[in-house]
Amino acid sequence: MTRHPISLTVNGEVITAEVRSAQLLSDFLRTELALTGTKRGCETGTCGACSVTMDGDVVKSCLCLAVQADGAVIETVEGLGTHDAPSALQRAFMEHGGLQCGYCTPGFLMVAKDLLSRNHDPDEAEIRAALSGNLCRCTGYQGIVDAIAAAAKELRHGH
Amino acid sequence: MRDFRFLTPPTLPEALAMLADLGEDACVMAGGTALLLGMRQRMLSPDSVVSLHRLQALKGITVDPTQGLTIGALVRHADVARSPEVQRHYPMLADMAQRLANPQVRNRATIGGNLCYADPATDPPTCLIALDAEVTLVGPDGTRRLAMRDFAVDYYTTALEPGELLTTIHLPPPDTMRVGLYRRLLRTPAEHRPVASIALTLLRNGDLVSDARLVIGAATPAPQTMIRAQAFLEGRRLTPDTAAEAAALVAAEIAPLSDGRGDAAFRRQIAQVNTRRMLAELGGHDWRLE
Ligand SMILES: Cc1cc2nc3c(=O)[nH]c(=O)nc-3n(C[C@H](O)[C@H](O)[C@H](O)COP(=O)(O)OP(=O)(O)OC[C@H]3O[C@@H](n4cnc5c(N)ncnc54)[C@H](O)[C@@H]3O)c2cc1C
Repeated sequence: MTRHPISLTVNGEVITAEVRSAQLLSDFLRTELALTGTKRGCETGTCGACSVTMDGDVVKSCLCLAVQADGAVIETVEGLGTHDAPSALQRAFMEHGGLQCGYCTPGFLMVAKDLLSRNHDPDEAEIRAALSGNLCRCTGYQGIVDAIAAAAKELRHGH
Repeated sequence: MRDFRFLTPPTLPEALAMLADLGEDACVMAGGTALLLGMRQRMLSPDSVVSLHRLQALKGITVDPTQGLTIGALVRHADVARSPEVQRHYPMLADMAQRLANPQVRNRATIGGNLCYADPATDPPTCLIALDAEVTLVGPDGTRRLAMRDFAVDYYTTALEPGELLTTIHLPPPDTMRVGLYRRLLRTPAEHRPVASIALTLLRNGDLVSDARLVIGAATPAPQTMIRAQAFLEGRRLTPDTAAEAAALVAAEIAPLSDGRGDAAFRRQIAQVNTRRMLAELGGHDWRLE
């Protein structure tokens, strides 16, 4: 009774699987689906490296069981863009020094995407509040804030 | 983390029957943000986890001019923060919910789970007590309703009996005459959890205070109502001197917690300073000029 069938949509693809009850969503995405863009960091809900979108809201996948994602629509960083065709947000991170080592970047991209889906013109305070659940030890955050502001501008005017 | 049976009862009566049946071998799960941390640290190793996520009876927010506000236990902090009804009629509550923890936690963690875990380093209990909230509990012996102040018993301790579930949180109808402020104090801006939280509401009778509520949490094992300061404020004008005197009473009355996030003396001091500032602000004074 400890294996559970689940069915969920990940980056647009319907997935069915059997999971152990104690498996975390972050672990499921990485080990079963090989979506290793989602990082494991603190695993206590503090650092935000494991952030993914669940039914349209950004969450920490280390604070969620895979069985709790049964029926959910999940988006991971792999759903944002590709190496050859990065999204506007990903391009902005590259152009504005929004990353150095890159470990925290998938989490920052997911919270930034969540912010821009609700607020097309965030001011700096709103951007910083949206980032409050994510830690970066390289950039000092300014590059990330600039990248998100630039992406918001491009998304407003560009398309 | 050890494996467990993951159970998903579809209705409240079935959930209650399951909990009665499983007894101490089961843990209740709402969002899981607190429970999973406890399980991963092996502080808890339940044989079964009973997830409440299918229980419609514990979802939704309603506002009624005579009944007031009703919030289902499974409502997430983000839902409280984004609710236009809560924003309009209970701005102090919406503002608190918008700033607690961080966006990802607010999108998953429920208000009911927060209250039932009774972790002192949180926001809603302090704010809800000052707003005269009540909670409904349903268990094997029926339904009871009690004041939030009586539900938050002590450090990680609530009035919940074994097998009982928190179903709803109630707030009285909005009182347009009552003004309120909620403050959360962090040790550093990078922290999520408050080291002290202060909720203040009062009625204005001309320029005199009446019926003040002053509740301090996070700095204390469970939210503490500042009875002496409340009594002192009755019938007074909110001058900078009144604010300072009430704050001194808070410093004398508060029984603070000492832990890794701050010792008792530090917590007593920030409670005093911030009480003074909040009272001065409600009195229309700029404490920065003093
Ligand atoms: C990184 C991080 C930062 C945080 N920062 C803050 C903060 O700044 N301020 C703040 O207020 N909180 C903060 N929290 C705490 C957060 O608010 C709680 O973890 C959350 O609200 C608990 O809700 P849940 O639905 O996840 O509960 P769960 O983890 O599912 O449950 C918590 C407990 O309550 C019991 N329970 C849950 N629902 C019910 C019910 N309806 N009836 C009976 N028992 C029930 C469970 O059995 C369990 O013991 C933080 C948490 C994290 C992880």
